[in-house]
Amino acid sequence: MVWHPHRLAHAIFRWRLPLSGLIIAAALALATQADVVTINNDLSAWVARDTREYQTYERFIEEFGGTRNVIVALEGEIFSVDGLQGVDAITRAIVQIPLVQQVYSLSTANIVRPLPAREDDAGVIEVTPLLGDDVTDPGAVARIRREALSDPLLRGDLVSQDGRVTAIVVVFDERRIDEARGDTVTAVEDAVRRRLPPGFKAHFNGSLEISETYNRVTVANTRQLTLPILGVTLLALYVLFRSVRTMLLIATAIGVSVALTMGLYAVLGFQFNVLTSMLMPLIVVLAIADDVHIVQHFTEVWRQTGDAAEAFVSSIVHLFAPLIGASATTALGLLSLATSDVVAVKTFGIGAAIGVMFDVLVSLVLVPTLMMWMPPPVAAPPQDFWFREPLARAGRVAFGRWRIVLMATVLVAMVAVAGLLRVRVDTNHINFFPSEHPITTSARVIDRDLSGIYTFDVLLEGPAESMRQPDTLQRMARLSGQLHELPNVRKVTSLADYVQRVHQQLADGAPEAAVIPDSPEAVAQELFVFGLSDEGRSELARMAASDYSRARISVKLASMSSDVVFAQIDRAEQLARTAFDGTDLRTEVTGSGRIFATLDHYMVDSQLSSFATAFVTVFAVIFLIFRSIRFGLLGIVANILPIVIVMGVMGWLGISLNIATIMVASVTLGIVDDDTIHFISRYRREAETGADTAEAVERATTHEGRAALTTAIINTVGFGLLAFSPYRPTAWFGGLLALTMAVAFLTEVLLVPAVIAALPRWLSAPVVAMRLRSS
Amino acid sequence: MRRRQAIWVSMLLPVTLAVSQAQAPSADEVARRVDARDTGRDSRLEMTMRLFDRQGRVRERALVVQAMRAQGREGDRMLVRFQSPTDIRGTGFLVWEHPDADDERFLYLPALGRVRRIAGAETQESFVGSDLTYEDIGGRELDHYTYTLVQGPSAWTGPDGQSHPVWHLESRARAADAAYPRVVSVVRQDILMIVAADIFNRRNEREKSYEVRALRQFDGIWTATGLSMVNHGQRTRTELTVTTARYNLGLTAAAFTRRALETP
Repeated sequence: MVWHPHRLAHAIFRWRLPLSGLIIAAALALATQADVVTINNDLSAWVARDTREYQTYERFIEEFGGTRNVIVALEGEIFSVDGLQGVDAITRAIVQIPLVQQVYSLSTANIVRPLPAREDDAGVIEVTPLLGDDVTDPGAVARIRREALSDPLLRGDLVSQDGRVTAIVVVFDERRIDEARGDTVTAVEDAVRRRLPPGFKAHFNGSLEISETYNRVTVANTRQLTLPILGVTLLALYVLFRSVRTMLLIATAIGVSVALTMGLYAVLGFQFNVLTSMLMPLIVVLAIADDVHIVQHFTEVWRQTGDAAEAFVSSIVHLFAPLIGASATTALGLLSLATSDVVAVKTFGIGAAIGVMFDVLVSLVLVPTLMMWMPPPVAAPPQDFWFREPLARAGRVAFGRWRIVLMATVLVAMVAVAGLLRVRVDTNHINFFPSEHPITTSARVIDRDLSGIYTFDVLLEGPAESMRQPDTLQRMARLSGQLHELPNVRKVTSLADYVQRVHQQLADGAPEAAVIPDSPEAVAQELFVFGLSDEGRSELARMAASDYSRARISVKLASMSSDVVFAQIDRAEQLARTAFDGTDLRTEVTGSGRIFATLDHYMVDSQLSSFATAFVTVFAVIFLIFRSIRFGLLGIVANILPIVIVMGVMGWLGISLNIATIMVASVTLGIVDDDTIHFISRYRREAETGADTAEAVERATTHEGRAALTTAIINTVGFGLLAFSPYRPTAWFGGLLALTMAVAFLTEVLLVPAVIAALPRWLSAPVVAMRLRSS
Repeated sequence: MRRRQAIWVSMLLPVTLAVSQAQAPSADEVARRVDARDTGRDSRLEMTMRLFDRQGRVRERALVVQAMRAQGREGDRMLVRFQSPTDIRGTGFLVWEHPDADDERFLYLPALGRVRRIAGAETQESFVGSDLTYEDIGGRELDHYTYTLVQGPSAWTGPDGQSHPVWHLESRARAADAAYPRVVSVVRQDILMIVAADIFNRRNEREKSYEVRALRQFDGIWTATGLSMVNHGQRTRTELTVTTARYNLGLTAAAFTRRALETP
């Protein structure tokens, strides 16, 4: 099929009003559907239900209940009348909160207590609440302190070694908690604060608290930063174009793009979460880039010819291919995320790809249509006369001194690669917050004094009764010991601990009796004793299935990078397999810690693989647009370098590649390939009209570099405000976005001209012109 | 003196036929009449307990429960002996209720061969690891609750398909810290037996449901021979089936000693 840009441009011009009307009507209709305030960070928003990890987790929570929790750490004189009464009152209040399934605290803790024999019996064992009925008696307080600190299942888990910090762990109805998570977490926090004994401090953490904090931060960012970003962006537009009408026109076009994208995103049934909250900035950045190109070209032609219709057609003729090409590469790169196992990544990819294509549609149809209603331009806008000469000079210098530019580029690239090698894939959610943020301070307290905020579990499955066989319990105990040796592991608990504890207490607490008995009957009867009380029964149900076909080994960890957790999980899986080698038991590591660590890992993985796809796509699209392998290769070089530099800077600054910063790479790719395609397109056009290489480079740099610089300034000042967010990923996003803009711009005006100058046999204007004419 | 009201399960403390009521009594009167039933001096019941977990898996235990009414200053006595499964066969459990003090509980584990006292005397605690509580089995303190008659269907259809007039009796615990502060029981008017009940937790959510599925007379005493207790919160269920029941056997205190406990 022969490409007829003029025919298409005239068709769009003829149908501009109905097409624009359609776009605005669609935007208005879809805007009513968009909801960027309701954030859903629940598990189903992230994990596809058909993955093995999710199915194992489903089986696990069906058996043992949820593992997502809120951990309340109380700091103060715990073992005092006030302290214990406070813990008790808080626990009782939390139990009353709907969706709370279980509360673990000193108030609900049980101890197995041996008491001396009487003359007519062999003594007493008690599986009894630690606190008992009366905590107002100082003698009872001393007894509780002694018993709590000497119980290995409580010490270091529910109470710190020094007795100054205690944990209240709240577990929820896993299947319903996401329906009312925010309110429930708030209710828990209120229940604690209202009953906090004088002089006590309360810290909140745990997987649900972290998720909820994410939600609050996301909503707060949206509420607090959207208007300032909009204001500063409009101001930058006004300053660069010195026209209220142009400013409003571009703002309207951005608004239409955002409404179309966000509305369709919601209509498709996708939900917003921390990841997809980056969708709007991405669309705004790309919309500004596209719109500035159109406005700049339209204004320039209109000023030269005095004919708005000609400016309309010229804009489409010259910019249709590069805009569509640039957008298509970005969209295809993003669309490759749709294959991800992580639901949030998948929806982000689809949403962003749709948004990018809406952007270009709006830029090609609505923006020139609105431009037609503008008064004819009488003078060049500031972005023209401010940038024209410096950019022309930059183009000349880059072309003339290409060796220096290339050497400098190689040098910068080497430094960047060295930095790149330092980049760690690391999502430590706690490090996303400033060191004085409550979530960070609470993590410090819980990691230091209690058993840490992260957990994972080894799920053991086998035939009925298999879990209480002495051999299985001994293997469990051995595996627990090995797991405890892993770095950052603070506590490991299994069914074996319960059997050992009961066995020891039945032997009057003798330390040497803390072993697994050899007789299956003895184990069965000891577990039977433990399960006689409500408390014991409930604890057993959290550790093993009632028919002993399943059991868990619970591992608690200090907060750390998700990738370290991921590595530990891998190691735990190997250890578990070895520990139960030769038996008919199956082992698998699961729990919320596993799910989230795997998620973070997959998320970064899928983004990285999408880059590979994107680079191939960029090359393919540039080849299709320009029908040139040479320019395709030039495009690849120009696209790789900014990403290497941005990631190199991340490496040197110690910013990890995580769920937030990985989004910067997507934006980088979108912006850089945009700039490159526009530059190459302009360069080839100038070459075709007879300009020599230096002239073609200078004109391309002047015109396309101007649009790139304008876009960079607008987005940098606008999104630079994100750097003020207390949430580090958002701040990183703002800072790295500004860096990306700068690097993309410099690549376009310095590197691309230098490469063209360095390869005259392949890329010089006469060669390009000759090839264009011959094709 | 503490008086226990066998208010609803009424299996170990069975009831005799009551005189039908000419006039609608007050709630307190209903509670008092249920409490005042003649339930036999002693009993021996053989039963099967089926424990369903949240996955629907079932564990079955066969047990024999002997009980003896209070004698003089002594409280009620109960001895539970597990017959199966094999690994807990012979395990025994003895409860001595004391009118003026906490109950005493003793446990015999054949694998250890010794009797152990088990502490804890909460009446709302689980009965031998089931969804039933000691209170459900042994009855509850009449004075520990306040009573109200509440609206509900006027008849209850029994397992035999026959319809029986009932009262709906709401019991509210006087103690603020009761695990189950409210119970709404369905009391059959003709035999003063509780045939169904909804038990509410501290959040006033229906936590458990009790239902009689089979009734039969043994030695002239109505006994619930099939019943279930569903724990909605935990999604577990316990079913009891009484296979044999005998009353007024002439059991003596000697059958409820620690020595007897040690002799499976």
